[in-house]
Amino acid sequence: MSKTTSTTETDRTDTERVGTTTGETDEHVRDEWRDYSFDAPTKIGVEDLDVYYGDDHALDGVSMDIPEQSVTALIGPSGCGKSTFLRCLNRMNDRVSSARIDGSVTLDGQEVYQEGVNLVELRKRVGMVFQSPNPFPKSIRENISYGPEKHGDIDTGLLARVLGRSDEAAREDLVEQCLRDAALWDEVADRLDDNALGLSGGQQQRLCIARCLSVHPEVILMDEPASALDPIATAKIEDLIAELSQEYTVVIVTHNMQQAARISEQTAVFLTGGELVEYGDTDQIFEDPESDRVEDYITGKFG
Amino acid sequence: MIGTQVLAARNAVTQQVRALSNFIEDQDPTALAVVSVMTGALLVAFAGFLSVSSLAIVPFSIFVVAAGYGWLNHQGLTARMLTFAMTVGTILILLLITVFIFVESIPVFVYESTTVFGISVPGLRMFTQAEWDAVSPPIRYSMVPMIHGTVMVTLIATAVAAPLGISAALFLSEIAPATLREAVKPGVEILAGIPSIVYGFIGFTILSPWAADQFRTTGQGSYLFVGIVVGLMALPTVVSVAEDALSSVPESMKSGSLAMGTTDWQTMASITIPAAFSGVSAAVLLGVGRAIGETMAATVMLRGVPQLTKPLYNAFYGQSTLTSLIANNYGEADGLQMDALFAAGVILFITVLAISVGSQYIEWRMRRKLGGEN
Amino acid sequence: MAGAAETRLVSGDTSRSNAVAAAAVALAAVLFVTSLAALFEVITISDPFAGVPVVTVLGGTLSLLGVAVITFGVGSYVGAVETEPSRSAGLVAAVVFGVVWFAVGGAVTSRVLGIGGVAWAFVALLTGAVASAVTAVPREDIGSTLPAGAVTLLAGMTFLTGSVGPAWVWELEFEQQASLTAEFAIPVVTLFCALLAGWAAAKAYGGFGARGRKMGAYLLIYLNAGSIVSVLFILIAFTAFRGIPGLLNGTEFGLGTGPTVFGFALPVSIPFVMHGVSLFNDFQGVLPAIAGTIWLVVGAVLFAVPLGVGAAIFLTEYAERGRFTQVVEVATNGLWSTPSIVFGLFGFAFLIPRFGGGKSLLSGMLTLGFMLLPLVLITSREAMLAVPDEYRDASAALGVSKWQTIRSVVVPAALPGVVTGVILGVGRIAGETAPILLTMTGGTFVPGERTVDVIGGFEFVSTPPFVANPELLRATTALPFQLYALITAGVGLGDNVSSPTEFQWATALVLLLVVLSFYAIGIGARYYFRRKLDYE
Ligand SMILES: Nc1ncnc2c1ncn2[C@@H]1O[C@H](COP(=O)(O)OP(=O)(O)OP(=O)(O)O)[C@@H](O)[C@H]1O
Ligand SMILES: [Mg+2]
Repeated sequence: MSKTTSTTETDRTDTERVGTTTGETDEHVRDEWRDYSFDAPTKIGVEDLDVYYGDDHALDGVSMDIPEQSVTALIGPSGCGKSTFLRCLNRMNDRVSSARIDGSVTLDGQEVYQEGVNLVELRKRVGMVFQSPNPFPKSIRENISYGPEKHGDIDTGLLARVLGRSDEAAREDLVEQCLRDAALWDEVADRLDDNALGLSGGQQQRLCIARCLSVHPEVILMDEPASALDPIATAKIEDLIAELSQEYTVVIVTHNMQQAARISEQTAVFLTGGELVEYGDTDQIFEDPESDRVEDYITGKFG
Repeated sequence: MIGTQVLAARNAVTQQVRALSNFIEDQDPTALAVVSVMTGALLVAFAGFLSVSSLAIVPFSIFVVAAGYGWLNHQGLTARMLTFAMTVGTILILLLITVFIFVESIPVFVYESTTVFGISVPGLRMFTQAEWDAVSPPIRYSMVPMIHGTVMVTLIATAVAAPLGISAALFLSEIAPATLREAVKPGVEILAGIPSIVYGFIGFTILSPWAADQFRTTGQGSYLFVGIVVGLMALPTVVSVAEDALSSVPESMKSGSLAMGTTDWQTMASITIPAAFSGVSAAVLLGVGRAIGETMAATVMLRGVPQLTKPLYNAFYGQSTLTSLIANNYGEADGLQMDALFAAGVILFITVLAISVGSQYIEWRMRRKLGGEN
Repeated sequence: MAGAAETRLVSGDTSRSNAVAAAAVALAAVLFVTSLAALFEVITISDPFAGVPVVTVLGGTLSLLGVAVITFGVGSYVGAVETEPSRSAGLVAAVVFGVVWFAVGGAVTSRVLGIGGVAWAFVALLTGAVASAVTAVPREDIGSTLPAGAVTLLAGMTFLTGSVGPAWVWELEFEQQASLTAEFAIPVVTLFCALLAGWAAAKAYGGFGARGRKMGAYLLIYLNAGSIVSVLFILIAFTAFRGIPGLLNGTEFGLGTGPTVFGFALPVSIPFVMHGVSLFNDFQGVLPAIAGTIWLVVGAVLFAVPLGVGAAIFLTEYAERGRFTQVVEVATNGLWSTPSIVFGLFGFAFLIPRFGGGKSLLSGMLTLGFMLLPLVLITSREAMLAVPDEYRDASAALGVSKWQTIRSVVVPAALPGVVTGVILGVGRIAGETAPILLTMTGGTFVPGERTVDVIGGFEFVSTPPFVANPELLRATTALPFQLYALITAGVGLGDNVSSPTEFQWATALVLLLVVLSFYAIGIGARYYFRRKLDYE
């Protein structure tokens, strides 16, 4: 299995000519980068994705394919549209009334932006950890079991208890498993009934990761999951991500180059203006980027 | 233990005094003089006004002149003093309301005293028997029928306003598309603006005859329909306060739930409403307060006879509420009966004030809870 | 657990079963509207509709709806329809259906079997408990359709068979007698069943599960929002419809027809708003009440706005935020929710003895001013708190004194909020009746010459307080009070005006127009200011 669909390739060679510096206004100036090809099947395909917030052009014709069961890192300066890109993948941008989205996103070959998409189903399959931790104002246990309970996978409500078919044990197992995976179990094991808002920022962030794992999504979108964590917790999360990529497709935004280099198989570099400048093997990107701008950004000369 | 507390209190006081004296020392002496004149004149004028003296105009004129002079020459301090006086004035009004309606109601409380275990409890008889008779002896001013009426109307009104109001608030803050919300929200506010006498008029001319016909009652006026009308009137209050509470739940919490693959409704029911619970209950409480205090619709739609309905849960008959008692009887009442109307006012005032304070407390707690999370 | 992973991303199956559920929802909505129409006697239940009495049609439709809902539930249970039901319909549904069936059981035993007392309670409890169990224990598709469908079917059959027909009456045997009649009971039961069955059908349409529950809830919420908006619309439209004839009675257009204002004759004459009541008038009007309302509002604003804004300035800018401001805040909120009649009592006890001992315009103004004060204070304070501290800091950094900063930075920035709050508050007090009832009051029909003229009323006198204005100290009338007086006047109204009902409705309409225009201006102002802020 080589590259994805052939149409993508032709499109790309059409629009991205080498060293286009002419004054054509409707043609975007792009740095040239090799077609990135991978062996795994494509999990998420993005094609010509444009996002506008009102008149603000936040993403500019982004096309990239994300392989299954791997870690893809998104890096780039603040405000370049990384979060916007992530939110397009599970259609959380639909919540922003000013956002307008053009282009196509596919999940396992199925178009996400088409009529009649079941958003609930999509978001079950594409989980998300937000940039700033957002635990629910409930107990730690309820935070973790929230998703499975809403999806009807476990039921520990009053009625279920009265009828004697409560999944108490299953819930406890799930809570423990998810918290362990997110490297939080040891810290909160004896206070699962405490309000999650009482946790520290870093703990809240891990709780949100655990919460995301509880519904076993196929794709996990992580927006700077380690931004509020100490090195030890970060290392744990990085281990977790490595482990997750055996089974899940992970897309992670990070401002930490080393982290991107450590954990990801492929890296996409966005630069200001919402443009995807380069996308390729992580090693390739960090050692020998095609684009000068990317090199500047990575070596810290950018800006 | 107590000693240290006293010491601390004294320290605080001395600190305040020192701050004040520092402040005074910093000021221009003429400015201080002007402000002192203003303060003195205003106090005298107020005392004169309280003692029903038409001479109160004299110190008041002095105050106006002093204020005018101060405004031209020492604007900063004068403005500060004026705004302070205005604040005090606002508080005074609340105090005056409390004092006056209480004082006016004292005679009837004394008259309706009952002896319990050898102790005379003023006003108790107003609540222990259900007889209101202002004409033929024994003259009795019981509040029980009116309290019953107010409770009936409020219960029915709340049963109408709370569920409808909360779901309308949900619709506005969570479901409606932006354009529809922009159109409906002013509509709800306008609904709040329709004067209660207009509701009362429509209720009186349309609803009451219709209800009497439907339920084959003798005469017109039922708690059921007053309750429904009052509920409609309280609805906008519930909607707008609940809507505020719901939309103050951070978007990140709602997104967090939606991103787990839950439906909008699950997010509302499990995240938004519980997070906004205190705000929503404050909204309902405020609606209850409005319903209790609603006067005109009850006055024109009820029968105005201070009696209990028979049986007590018979909502197809409507006699009188605390508010309609006052509005119906102020004209011919004097002496003890007028005092009894003030007693009804006192009951209303205390109840509504308690509800208001309660809802503020709940809202304050909610703000703390939601504010504490980030 | 397994079901969730199997569903496709796109739920594009608009199969026939879905269409059936959608049709059931539509049927329920039609029933909902029909029952409302019947309740308010737009439709009479005994009238024939296509040759059949309306009550029979209702019964038939209800039965159909009930059967459809049950069929769908059972179809889903046996797997004929593709759905994703949860394990149970849930606690709330169980409680609701328990209560519904408790009532059904009770009504049937007492009305049909004529049993009372303990046996009644036993049967009612039993049916309630069974319904709860049927809701809670089986899978969601059975639990949420069967009890709803059965109650709808039962009601439908009762109407269809004529067990409850147009002549049905239930004597409630209260001491003060009241009865439930068919004209009331049939529409209400229909309404209720339409809601229950509609909810069940909407759930079925969503395929049960999370999506179905959302559909069910949304149906109810949409119906509710729609009803509230239509109530608003109907109220205003109805008042306008009934009031316009009286309002426009004798209206003339053309140069010189109208009264002279500032030496200029208006080109239109609307006697209702331009005249008082007089024997010599062809058409009677409410001009004194309009003038009274305007002066009331002016007086209240003049009293409350400076006081409220001043206090807000002190509280936000000078006072330290702590116990004191908190107490004031609680007090103002308490004042704001104090019933208007209590303000009336206060005015009666406090103001009247101080302004000549009689009811007067001035007392009315001040009473309404007291009412307006807390709102002005609250909104001004909110508006001032919303002014960012950077503005103040920037001004202070330039060496400008605190008061200058307040005057030239804080107050202008807060002005939009204050103005809007004041206008909305004015709308509220302009329609208040209760406070002026005890402090101001006028007559039912007020002659035109009694129109207050505050400006022309000032005069100087030799005794304190040296300035007098008999106009201010005289009892006058206002629109809301006049409407109240017209309602309570009862018989004898016709001696003064040719058509008292028309006069009443026209007064109500004028009052509504005055108050709503304040609201429209207030809301418009808020939008205007907000838009302006957005663009800045
Ligand atoms: N809800 C929104 N409404 C309007 N504009 C938005 C919204 N969200 C993002 N933007 C704009 O879109 C652009 C991209 O934002 P985005 O949050 O995607 O950046 P980012 O790359 O995630 O930055 P960071 O690294 O700081 O998180 C920014 O210019 C931002 O101002
Ligand atoms: Mg971001």
